Amino acid sequence: MNRTSLILCLTLAAICGLAVNLFAAAGEEIYQVEQGFKLIPAVIMITMLCVYVGVGFLSKVSDTSGYWVASQEIGKFGNGAAIASDWMSAASFMGVAGLLYLKGWFGLGYIIGWTGGYVLLLCLITAQLRRFGKYTIPEFLGDRFDCHVVRLLAASVTVIITITYAAAQFKGIGLICGWIFGMSYTASVFFAAGVVTAYMLVSGMAGVTRNQQLQYVVLISAFMIPLWVLIKKAGGAGILPQLEYGPILSGLMEGSVAGPPLSPEEALELRRTFLPWGMGNFYQFIALVFTLMVGTAGLPHIMIRFYTVKNEDIARKSVLWGLFFIGLLYWSSPVYAVLGKFWNPNGGPTVADVIILSAPERANLGIAYIGYLASGAMAAGLSTLAGLLMTGASAIAHDWYATVLRPECTDKQALMVGRIFTAIICIIVIVIALKPPALIAQIVAMAFAIAGNTIFPVVVLGIWYSKSNKYGAMASMIWGFGMTLMAMVGWILGIEFFGPEGLMPATSSALIVCPIAFLLNIIVSNVMAEKVTEETADRSDNILRKLHNLPGNAAEPRNKNVAFFH
Amino acid sequence: MAIKKRVYVNFFRPSTPSMKAEARITSIVIVLWAILSYGIPLLIYLVGLGDPSGSGESFITRSRFLGFPLHYWLIAQGCTVGYVLLCKLYCTLWDKRVARGNPRRKSL
Repeated sequence: MNRTSLILCLTLAAICGLAVNLFAAAGEEIYQVEQGFKLIPAVIMITMLCVYVGVGFLSKVSDTSGYWVASQEIGKFGNGAAIASDWMSAASFMGVAGLLYLKGWFGLGYIIGWTGGYVLLLCLITAQLRRFGKYTIPEFLGDRFDCHVVRLLAASVTVIITITYAAAQFKGIGLICGWIFGMSYTASVFFAAGVVTAYMLVSGMAGVTRNQQLQYVVLISAFMIPLWVLIKKAGGAGILPQLEYGPILSGLMEGSVAGPPLSPEEALELRRTFLPWGMGNFYQFIALVFTLMVGTAGLPHIMIRFYTVKNEDIARKSVLWGLFFIGLLYWSSPVYAVLGKFWNPNGGPTVADVIILSAPERANLGIAYIGYLASGAMAAGLSTLAGLLMTGASAIAHDWYATVLRPECTDKQALMVGRIFTAIICIIVIVIALKPPALIAQIVAMAFAIAGNTIFPVVVLGIWYSKSNKYGAMASMIWGFGMTLMAMVGWILGIEFFGPEGLMPATSSALIVCPIAFLLNIIVSNVMAEKVTEETADRSDNILRKLHNLPGNAAEPRNKNVAFFH
Repeated sequence: MAIKKRVYVNFFRPSTPSMKAEARITSIVIVLWAILSYGIPLLIYLVGLGDPSGSGESFITRSRFLGFPLHYWLIAQGCTVGYVLLCKLYCTLWDKRVARGNPRRKSL
């Protein structure tokens, strides 16, 4: 069986579950969700959306400061919640449980990949980036290597990651709007885009961050509450569902389910799903986990979070809290998956799609709760989208425009360009979301590979290896990005090597590409060391002193951009 | 007047006391991280090699912990809880080893 493409199809299904699929949803009754306008949930959801926009409006940025980095005044819980909410997309909210439902034990690779990456991020990158203290990842790379090519490369990669990742959010949002308002997919894309653009343009990063804290609370509570009811229904004590689904899972492996007894073949299949290598082999597991980890640690919209806090101490602690908040969701997702298998052992992707959205009905939580759950899922999508658009727009407006193209521009112009590009990126994303290329889910999975292969190595070496210079950085970025693209094209063309069973599956390519990118960076940097001018080396040294609190850090000339951003 | 001696930073050969402390706690956490992320799957793989069907059945998949099949618990909760604890460990070690040795950092 073609496993990796199965994963992709399932991810595709989970992320993209178009409204049409819902109508056709087969499976048990409780695993269906009804399409069409629902008054009470709709009112609740609209109210919540107004609250989101209202919060953004109240924390409106009047004096142009803090559009990018929220005036660097966010605390550790707040920033932790913002990291979590930035991270947890509509796909995480609705898709992970479905993935675990279909992939069983193998699906856990996604969970540890997406959480373990934060450990890397914390110990290798966080504190140093915060000490650098400026605003975007391309800016860090551009300054560290004193090279506009590196800056532009990094900015372009950031924009590419942003756009693909953001387009996928609309899929999830479309699913929700179809469910609550009975909107068509096209209408919901415009609806969501309107909401997100409105509050972003009004408020900037401060509003987005404040919203993300609120949205985290809404989404995590909406996600977890049904569990207590459901676990009781399945025979648990209903105290801590995350610890109570074990016996049910053990039962599943012995073939005991809620409905009529399974045939021996079905029971065997079910058992295989939850055995380690039933759905994928050891190499595939490790490659997936590694790719997701370095990808997570290399995602620009997560890294940018550390600039929004007061000092590096809070930056570190906010990763700790962020990971804990993310953990709450990932400890709960398997419960849904296992209960899903318990009640409906043979469901396919259509059941997996709606495993979360159908939860309130299964738990008899009432019509109002449906609205709350939808607001939570919507919050997940919107907050990720806002964080992404912010990062993408800052890469263009700050790193392309204000630093490279028009260094002489004024504060007002830079901010204006920032707003314009927020809107432009939003439009591009809408266009892609409306007419998605057939393979959008693959491309999104590729966002992790791109981040892990391109951004992660160059940032880590930039911080921890003083000999790394612009030539090494360029070589490793071009290698990482090129190989990821090649793997993607190879995958689409069906070349064995990049295929699901191949040595370098496109979505898990980092296990091979990322270490080579490190190596290449080191080798090229050493070979080309002679070519680096004194001036460039001086500037790099100055940045390194700052990163590692070394003595002799010369104060940088405070150009107006720096003044503006404070 | 710029200092002409080049700054030297290398994770494996840290040059200043505070960088040494940082690199040291980072290595501790990364080693533990690697054991969690790759050691546990490797263990499950190795003990499961004996399963002729290739799905990796072993005493780990047969044992139960808190009612969970052990191999499932180890990844779903063991690893993820472990990561949070590792982050906590990192922050604690930092406060102890790095921040104490360098009062300047606290004022940052």
